[in-house]
Amino acid sequence: MTVATAARAVGKGPRRRGRQRGVRRGDQFAGWAFVSPAVVLIAVFGLVPVVWSLLLSVQQTDLTSAGTWSGGANYTKMVHDPVFWQAARQTLLYCVLFVPITMVLAVPIAVLLNQKVRGMTFYRMAVFAPLVTSTVATGVIFSWLYNPQIGLINAGLDKLGLPQQGFFQSTGEALPAVVGMTVWGWLGFAVIIYLSALQNVPRELMEAAALDGAGRVRAFFKVELPLLAPASSFLLVWLTINALQLFDEVYVTTKGGPLHASTVLVYYLYQQAFVNFDGGYAAAIGVALFVVILIVTVVQLWLGRRTSHYEAG
Amino acid sequence: MRATPQRAGRRLGVRITAGAAVLALGTLAACSGGGGDSGKSHDAIIMWHGYTDVENKAITQLGQEWNAAHPDQKVNVTFAGSNDDALKKTLASFVSGKTPGVAYEYGSSITTLAQRSQTQDLTSLVKGTPSFQWNDFFPAARQAATTPDGKIYGVPALVDNLALVYNKKLFDAAGLSYPTANWTWDDFRNAARKLSEPSQHKYGWAYVNDGTEDTVWRYIAMLWQAGGDLLTPDGKKSAFDSPAGLAAMQLLHDMAVTDHSVYLDTGDGQYQNLFNSGKIGMLWTGPWDLGTINKDISYGAQFLPGKVTHATIAGPDNYMLFNKGDRTTAWAFVQWLDSAQTHLKFAIATGDLPLRQSETQLPGYKDFLKRYPANQVFVDNLSKNATKSRPNIPAYPKISQVLGTAVQSVLLGKAQPQAALDDARQQVDQILAGE
Repeated sequence: MTVATAARAVGKGPRRRGRQRGVRRGDQFAGWAFVSPAVVLIAVFGLVPVVWSLLLSVQQTDLTSAGTWSGGANYTKMVHDPVFWQAARQTLLYCVLFVPITMVLAVPIAVLLNQKVRGMTFYRMAVFAPLVTSTVATGVIFSWLYNPQIGLINAGLDKLGLPQQGFFQSTGEALPAVVGMTVWGWLGFAVIIYLSALQNVPRELMEAAALDGAGRVRAFFKVELPLLAPASSFLLVWLTINALQLFDEVYVTTKGGPLHASTVLVYYLYQQAFVNFDGGYAAAIGVALFVVILIVTVVQLWLGRRTSHYEAG
Repeated sequence: MRATPQRAGRRLGVRITAGAAVLALGTLAACSGGGGDSGKSHDAIIMWHGYTDVENKAITQLGQEWNAAHPDQKVNVTFAGSNDDALKKTLASFVSGKTPGVAYEYGSSITTLAQRSQTQDLTSLVKGTPSFQWNDFFPAARQAATTPDGKIYGVPALVDNLALVYNKKLFDAAGLSYPTANWTWDDFRNAARKLSEPSQHKYGWAYVNDGTEDTVWRYIAMLWQAGGDLLTPDGKKSAFDSPAGLAAMQLLHDMAVTDHSVYLDTGDGQYQNLFNSGKIGMLWTGPWDLGTINKDISYGAQFLPGKVTHATIAGPDNYMLFNKGDRTTAWAFVQWLDSAQTHLKFAIATGDLPLRQSETQLPGYKDFLKRYPANQVFVDNLSKNATKSRPNIPAYPKISQVLGTAVQSVLLGKAQPQAALDDARQQVDQILAGE
């Protein structure tokens, strides 16, 4: 408790503010000059689309001809659209499943990959490989694996005497099946983050723990795991943002189906914008998603700052 | 009033931004002006298509042939990404100003594109050019190029339709005689049941069940076979919630849910691989799938089974022309591309069906049939069974989505046929009433 408050006190404002006051005008110019390319890029590819989406969301437009102003009509439609709410629920469910599963699975794998064993590079590569596999390839592979009639997974279940599953073709299983596929795809990323965090754990700490009589397991839980907190909070934010923006995997496998069972918000947005050419409504969905992501990120960063006691590096 | 340093800085910023914007706009204007929107220009007419493989080669070859014969009217035949994205790309090109002169578009895109000022109304050209012989094209293709108000916005680029393709070996093994032109739905259902062996993952039939138009158009064919129709003749209300619509849904339900004789494909085309490995006995598919069937599979093609008729559904695509560049050249090129002689060359190279009735009278047509014997059925379908086309109305994509969900829910056993129809009727009528 005391440690926590102390850490918070250290991270508090005065120091930062003080530093800023000391900056001279010339330095400020140099600073802006250095970041200006990034600022321009962010403005053009980040801010402009956001503002434009806001404008689109209060219009009826097919994205190519001039739209007509419609006020809050798109938002009213959204509130009364059952498929939108279904997509929102499913997006949330996807996040709640995908993020913790990925993180929980990544820790033990990272610990295993942190050992000194022959051929470790190979194992690390093997874990990382799914991340660099194209989504389309992943989708095709999993469509075959999950195939209810001829898929490998069902063949395995059959051997074990377990009932056959429908996976992508079942309304109840399509979303969990997408979770399984994306966890496989993103696990390597989480493992790499944890691995680098583990390698930054000071040796002295582990040695001190050993001297104090802590076994390997105890040392992990008492020393290493708490030190992974910054990595965890980074992953939490990063994976959640990615999860909220899930699209490609759904597009190449289930197309949001069957019967909207795996329709998530971004996929629904895509359908509205580029299948129905209802640009205004799609923009409204985009704005809703933007607000949700903003809130989630702010809350997570705030929680992360409150809970992680250690400064990275 | 003296400006504070801060304000001055801000104003300078504004001026720079404004200047940049003017510069950017100027560049854009210069770019889009360069094409020469009216009159003659020496720039080649750009034609976008989304063909790959064999078709790509054939169309590129035709482009070269044209250019060799018309050095003053050059055409630049360009692959512009898959045809699946043609509509999106074309609409985007309207915004950017880099619109092609001609583009291959799916038949379903005509309603969206016809509403744009950039799209050329071809009615007077088509009707005013006797040598073009508009009535020589097959009826479904002509309908697909015409909007409900009778205006022609495209010329046929491709015609196809669905027929029953079956694996002869599997029929022999099951002791079944091959499908005939007079097959009924009962014959079809029985054969599918006998060809199925769920324990060995063998299925009599495959149905694309992703809820897209691919799911819908097979259902529409069945609806027509039962004597029903999608909408009322004036296009103002739904008409599929009828005894015919119910019979079609019931057949799907009986085969998929009761008999388990249908492989439900999620839309990734695995049915092709399964047909090739002898796991699926029958497909309802078009000529485009014949090329992917393995050489060692002995297959036959037949008309679709029927109830009242043996109706099939065609999915004709169009070449559409835009108000860009030299329109005389664009029209001349498309006329040549659509002439019986030129298209027959393309058909022989690719296996695409003939576009014109007169094409089947040309001497080279025999070579075409020799090369693609199964195509005889598809060609016969063109004049006999492909008599209707889907309504060319702007609301069609939305109607298709509703029907896709309805058919999917029946195939998955999530809804009873009548309930699915009732639900879909309500939604479609709402869409047609303007929501």
